[in-house]
Amino acid sequence: MDAKTYTAPPSIGRYGSRALVFGVAALALAAAVSFLFPQEHIPGPVQFFRAYLVAYIFCTGLGVGSLAWLMLQHMTGGGWGLVIRRPLEAATRTIPLLALLFIPLAVSLFVHPGGESLYEWSDAAKVAGDEALRHKSAYLNPVFFIVRAVIYFAVWGVMMYFMNKWSAEQDKTGDPRIRRLMQDASAPGLLLFGLTVTFAAMDWGMSLEPHWFSTIYGLIIMVGWGLSALALMIIVLTVLGAEEPMEGVYAPLYFHDLGKLLLAMVMLFAYFSFSQFLIIWSGNLPEEIPYYLRRLRGWWQYVGLSLILFHFALPFAMLLSRGVKRHARALRNIAILMLLMRVVDLIFIIAPAAYQDTAEPTGIHWQDLLTMSAAAAGLFGIWLWYFFGQLTKRPLMPLGAPELEKTMEAAAASAHH
Amino acid sequence: MQRVDNLDDDRGIHTTPAVIEPGHDFGTVTDKISSIVLRKRTPLGWFVGFLISFMLTGMMMGTILYLVMTGIGIWGNNQPVGWAFDIINFVWWIGIGHAGTLISAILLLLRQEWRTSINRFAEAMTLFAVASAGLFPLLHTGRPWLAYWLFPYPNTMGMWPQFRSPLMWDVFAVSTYATVSALFWYTGLIPDLATLRDRARSKFGRVVYGMMALGWRGSARHWHRYEITYLLLAGISTPLVLSVHTIVSFDFAVGIIPGWHATIFPPYFVAGAIYAGFAMVLTLVIPLRKFYGLEDFITERHLRNAAKVMLATGLIVAYGYMMETFTAWYSANTYEEFMIRNRFFGPYAFYYWSLLVCNVVVPQLLWIRFVRHSTVALFVIAMFVNVGMWLERFVIIPISLHRDFLPSSWGMYSPTIFDFTMFFGTIGFFFFLMFLFLRFLPVISIFEMRTMVPEAQLPEEKLP
Amino acid sequence: MRKQTRPPTYGLIAEFESPGDVIAAAERVHEEGYRRVDAYSPYPIEALSEAIGVHHSRLPLMVLIGGIIGGLAGYLMQYYLLVINYPLNVGGKPFHSWPQFVPITFECAVLGAALTAVFGMLALNGLPEPYHPVFNAPNFALASRDRFFLLIMSTDPKFEREQTAGFLKSLGPREVTDVEY
Repeated sequence: MDAKTYTAPPSIGRYGSRALVFGVAALALAAAVSFLFPQEHIPGPVQFFRAYLVAYIFCTGLGVGSLAWLMLQHMTGGGWGLVIRRPLEAATRTIPLLALLFIPLAVSLFVHPGGESLYEWSDAAKVAGDEALRHKSAYLNPVFFIVRAVIYFAVWGVMMYFMNKWSAEQDKTGDPRIRRLMQDASAPGLLLFGLTVTFAAMDWGMSLEPHWFSTIYGLIIMVGWGLSALALMIIVLTVLGAEEPMEGVYAPLYFHDLGKLLLAMVMLFAYFSFSQFLIIWSGNLPEEIPYYLRRLRGWWQYVGLSLILFHFALPFAMLLSRGVKRHARALRNIAILMLLMRVVDLIFIIAPAAYQDTAEPTGIHWQDLLTMSAAAAGLFGIWLWYFFGQLTKRPLMPLGAPELEKTMEAAAASAHH
Repeated sequence: MQRVDNLDDDRGIHTTPAVIEPGHDFGTVTDKISSIVLRKRTPLGWFVGFLISFMLTGMMMGTILYLVMTGIGIWGNNQPVGWAFDIINFVWWIGIGHAGTLISAILLLLRQEWRTSINRFAEAMTLFAVASAGLFPLLHTGRPWLAYWLFPYPNTMGMWPQFRSPLMWDVFAVSTYATVSALFWYTGLIPDLATLRDRARSKFGRVVYGMMALGWRGSARHWHRYEITYLLLAGISTPLVLSVHTIVSFDFAVGIIPGWHATIFPPYFVAGAIYAGFAMVLTLVIPLRKFYGLEDFITERHLRNAAKVMLATGLIVAYGYMMETFTAWYSANTYEEFMIRNRFFGPYAFYYWSLLVCNVVVPQLLWIRFVRHSTVALFVIAMFVNVGMWLERFVIIPISLHRDFLPSSWGMYSPTIFDFTMFFGTIGFFFFLMFLFLRFLPVISIFEMRTMVPEAQLPEEKLP
Repeated sequence: MRKQTRPPTYGLIAEFESPGDVIAAAERVHEEGYRRVDAYSPYPIEALSEAIGVHHSRLPLMVLIGGIIGGLAGYLMQYYLLVINYPLNVGGKPFHSWPQFVPITFECAVLGAALTAVFGMLALNGLPEPYHPVFNAPNFALASRDRFFLLIMSTDPKFEREQTAGFLKSLGPREVTDVEY
């Protein structure tokens, strides 16, 4: 055990640079299509911002969702948490990059080409003519929106900073009190996480349709972020586990536990989403139901159906099997599916919001599908490059964690069964 | 999630108490727990408690008799407050029941070994709470002898239940929940009933426990299937318990009354149910372990873990209150805003602020370690939560109803004496069943406790 | 023993004091080729059931099927009653209000799965079974307290009373006795 330093293999750097090249190209494609092939009611810049928003919420979920998992595993302990701790920490260290990437969204608040904007409430002319928006302008206004984003990133940044700092100290000193410290800080940390993500979700996603409201919205986005971060971690483990020094470190036992958590997240997400749908569908109130009317007409209903099938039914059925959960490759494939479906879900949440007032709200526009998926892939590529860079900076296992040795022995023992 | 949580011991200054105190083996665990049931002399304290709960049950029976003879007009329900104590108490009891399933099922799946000594007790709590809960909607129908109309059966009226209604979902959810909880509880009891059969000194005891044990003989082939069944039941019960309180929340949320129609209701109700349930577990277990000398099996560790679960679920509940309030303003909907203003400053504002004190303010003391480590403090906080969670349902139900959409339809609600005799009667009924359970069945799962003693640790099993 | 031939017995049972001993003995018995074997313990021991060659169970599959049947029955019941048999407009909702059919479908699936799990387990275990020869073994009442037993049935092809008894005695039990019918 002592001989192992768990330094990241050089291939990780290569994957990173490839991701960067791919990412920049895909993002450029999204921008080009947005500006060259604008839709009738949606000018180029707005189209780009909409696509960028899908990508941004997706990528922020990876970084901030990892922060939640990091704190959660500090609280619960367990081998599964130990093996993903370093990848989680690396993912949280992308939070400064994510803060930087927020700038285009801040800019979008001041760009209203042809009277259209990403967020309707950011346009003073529209607010003046709408009583509900005037009422909400105390909360939904550009300055406060940016101030809130600064607060969210400050909170996430502080938590990220200390969690990483303490972890590095633990590597150096092996002081058992640090474990206790991280554990004790995680409970209030998760509380802050819940509050900030709730309001971030309402700001960035829910306020696209500013007349609509749903109290469970924050939880849906929160679980979505947790789901995508966990899926990413499973994929990262399979990538790292393919070569030295991590070959054979990630025992089936850990994949089994991570698979169970993935199943729980898949079920939780379906549960929250269905609850929201059933309550609004049954209530059928004029200020709520338009949200689903926009998403259950025309081609969009098939996107909704695909979410039921591939965001819930298929992964649920597969993850019931013990064999699938313990089989790294199979689990990785489900995790890839989940990442893809997270993007589809975000498109389903964000794209139809732009067709509130048009006479033809039903069709799917190819520009939306293309720009949104290209932007998501592009920003994800850039994010991955930064993430892989962070991953190579520290040993891939927390060397100073007091439970490391026992956990490794347990993994070795379980491998023999 | 493996046995790694034993590592808690070396994580720092404080050590975590064990799940079972040292010095026990297969025999002592068996003797100690089964002796509570098998001893000839019943302790005096049991008789006192039993008598009180029996009298309260009698009060409930009297109320039911009067109600059936007269009609539900004896309660304070009126227009516009058509739902009041009956539904408050129903939701309160169902919520308490949920912690039982949570302890027995979810903690089993999470391989939390500390559950072992309290799961039997918690499951019993579930059953008796569901029995108490079920009485309320049954009696609220006004004609409980026609309650079978709720089930779809071919009938001369040629009609069917209205399955689009959440009240029908409730019928299916609660009856499924009662059935599955009873099966889970009984399945867990079978090996212990065999122990009682083999250890009972009276012929009567041997025959009765023998029949209930179904001829269980501890065969390895049987244990193999038994373990699979137990795990499967745990896996089935986990989504079930979430679905039950979700459906209870749908009773309100699919309607359009401000204060009821909120998408946060399902998770917020589930968290509230677990919160209330753990508070009730603490309320019952703290005196019980003292009285029966079960401190070796229900240790400080159990109480502290229950305190942490209470803190976590309490925070989710507080999150629900916050989201309701914020969204009421954010919605820009007159009725939503009025609903919150009415809660804060309306005629029943006292109950809303009391609810916040009981459910949000007082439980924050659980952040402090020495509060979590004090049995007395935990008991007091649990009592606050018991009251707070009852008040929460009071705030949701009558306070939302008494201000209808049109001011001409506004009204006030005050419970009658029979609302209280019914409510306290069910508390008595719950304890009546609890005392019978304590006397006749093992309160702690004996066979699972055997797996916890040091002798049971096989060399190769020490590693996960 | 009035007659020359012994009355037929159910089998031979060996009594052990610790879980480790009975597992080791069960493994030896299995290696020796005995297959009609059973072991008795006061709590579930995975290694013991593995040692006597019990590995798989049909239960999980049965429970899955039970759940699917329950769920289908729940949905089809609602569909038949509210769409075909007696369609009624309630609150302007479509006759086939599938979102509102989900809760009952779910509950029925759970009920089907749980009933299959419990009654399937009892059926496969052959319970309730009020009388069983193994209860005639001395000290067997302790099998539900702190004793462990290993039984070789007389119907096992390799069963040879004297030889089997000698073999069982060599495994270090407290006692080896005949189990009468």
